[in-house]
Amino acid sequence: MFKGIFGERVFKAATLATLIFFVLFFTGIIISIIFYTNPGEVLKILFSAEVLFAIKLSLITATITAVISIIIGIPAAYAISKTEFRGKSVVDTILDLPIVVSPIALGAALLVFFNTPAGIAIEEHGIKFVFVVSGIILAQFTVVSALFIRLMKSSFDSINPRYEDVARTLGCSKFQAFFKVTLPLAKNGIISAGILTWARAIGEFGATVTLAGATAMKTETLPIAIFLSLATADVEKAMTVILILVCIAMIALIAIRKAVGRGWLI
Amino acid sequence: MIYIKNLLKNLGDFSLEDINLDVQDGEYFVLLGPTGAGKSVLIECIAGLHKPEKGEIWINGRNATGLTPEEREVSYVPQDYALFPFLTVKENIEFGMKIKKYSKFEINQGLKKMVNLLEIENITHRNPSTLSGGESQRVAVARALAVKPKLLLLDEPLSALDPRTKQALWIELKRIHRELKVTTIHVTHNFEEAISLGDRIGVMNEGKIVQIGTPDEIFRKPKSMFVAEFVGADNLFKGICTSKIEDETSRVSINGVSMDVFAAAKKDGECYVSIRPEDIVLSKEICKCYVDMNMLKGKITEIQDKGILIKVVVDAGIQLSVLLTRRACLEKELSKGDSVYVIFKAMDVHLF
Repeated sequence: MFKGIFGERVFKAATLATLIFFVLFFTGIIISIIFYTNPGEVLKILFSAEVLFAIKLSLITATITAVISIIIGIPAAYAISKTEFRGKSVVDTILDLPIVVSPIALGAALLVFFNTPAGIAIEEHGIKFVFVVSGIILAQFTVVSALFIRLMKSSFDSINPRYEDVARTLGCSKFQAFFKVTLPLAKNGIISAGILTWARAIGEFGATVTLAGATAMKTETLPIAIFLSLATADVEKAMTVILILVCIAMIALIAIRKAVGRGWLI
Repeated sequence: MIYIKNLLKNLGDFSLEDINLDVQDGEYFVLLGPTGAGKSVLIECIAGLHKPEKGEIWINGRNATGLTPEEREVSYVPQDYALFPFLTVKENIEFGMKIKKYSKFEINQGLKKMVNLLEIENITHRNPSTLSGGESQRVAVARALAVKPKLLLLDEPLSALDPRTKQALWIELKRIHRELKVTTIHVTHNFEEAISLGDRIGVMNEGKIVQIGTPDEIFRKPKSMFVAEFVGADNLFKGICTSKIEDETSRVSINGVSMDVFAAAKKDGECYVSIRPEDIVLSKEICKCYVDMNMLKGKITEIQDKGILIKVVVDAGIQLSVLLTRRACLEKELSKGDSVYVIFKAMDVHLF
């Protein structure tokens, strides 16, 4: 089919056309939001107490979630990348589950868990999670931490084990080799995976709404603010918050490109 | 001294078996073998990067079998050098000294010494990614030697380099070894490299050490068909051997052609013989030979120009390759189709 130069051109045109369709589709959606809102109204809503609260809550919870994911995720990702053990493929599959399973299902599972004796004990004697802010963090963590581990795993996978080997022969303990060699080598990977995890946590809705609920000015993150405004038919407000989310996402993606210094990761 | 006893390492589809080896203090020992022979696995066991299932590794009188790499005082230069890309050349060399908590003064001294020894004064501020292959190699060796190891392990250190750089670094490695006298195990698949660097050579194949000896022993007296073929013995034949009673020679018959072979031990039945092409003389006239000389009559079937040397192939019932200097070839006026006598000593026929 389509031999020679003509075939090459047709192929290029066909693939580029689908790409252009894709880009137009997404820019179209965003532009339609911009057209729907008027700038004066947006500014008024942006500086309303409720939206400011939602921005602040989203930034704080997502940052805490990202930090916890990084602290727990780096050693876990290292283990799955560099250690051989029995049942590794099972562990690998379990790690993929939170990425594939619908967030609302994960949230519901969490809610169910806090109705078991163990869950009730944690609620009563430890930290309260259901319908409070800490629940937002737990919900976000449940959804995004596996993503961080997955990204970090591929980052560790790409690091030649020879670096650690050489470090060991030069006198490093396993810990020193990890901190002095592997972590610096994984620096770009950690930064980009961290930012991506953070951005994903900002946008988390399904698990959050199920576990922490959608209470205005209490557990109202940005996605929940969209949900609440749409529920009350406050379209202007919903559009404003959507714009905020798009801006945050853009900033995060630009930050990753800047931090990594190369365009190949995303 | 390095002493390895009955080492066994199983890596699934590959295993090191029954490795016994000792390397003397200050010796330059070369592990030679084809790809997949297990050379790298063996030195990784010595470095402590693999845990052997069985056997012992002793380093300078200490049983190091259960020690972690950092406790062994063995430096290792991998094939790809693995220079830390987030550090400059200077920081790479200082890395081990800093980890080992050398004083500032010692680190400076060590750095200076290594930089001078490897002649890399002008690249110390550079990032490893900007270095050429030869420069990276020098930096990797400098980093390994800076921590004053008891043993230096080099895994195919020259294989990624172009031929000219390679030749220059052979000489460098030899000089560095002469100056520092650090015990070295060098892995290579290149026989010339092994011969020009090694005090002794251990030939490996399929996870086993098949022969250990000086370069000359390996070259002239290969103990098996594999070693002979690997070191490139040209005239290698299979024959039937019969020991003579009266002296230390045996008679070997190869496709009906017989020759006298000097043999220290009696060996009857199937055997291999090899004769190095440069140990054979060609003559147009029959010569009055000594008792321990072999003389075969043959015809020149091929003359190949090899640069400095000329390779002459003679069919004397068996195909024999003979290496002559260009001058000897001219003087003897040899040409294709000539009848010649092929002469070689019984001492020069290696039987195994």
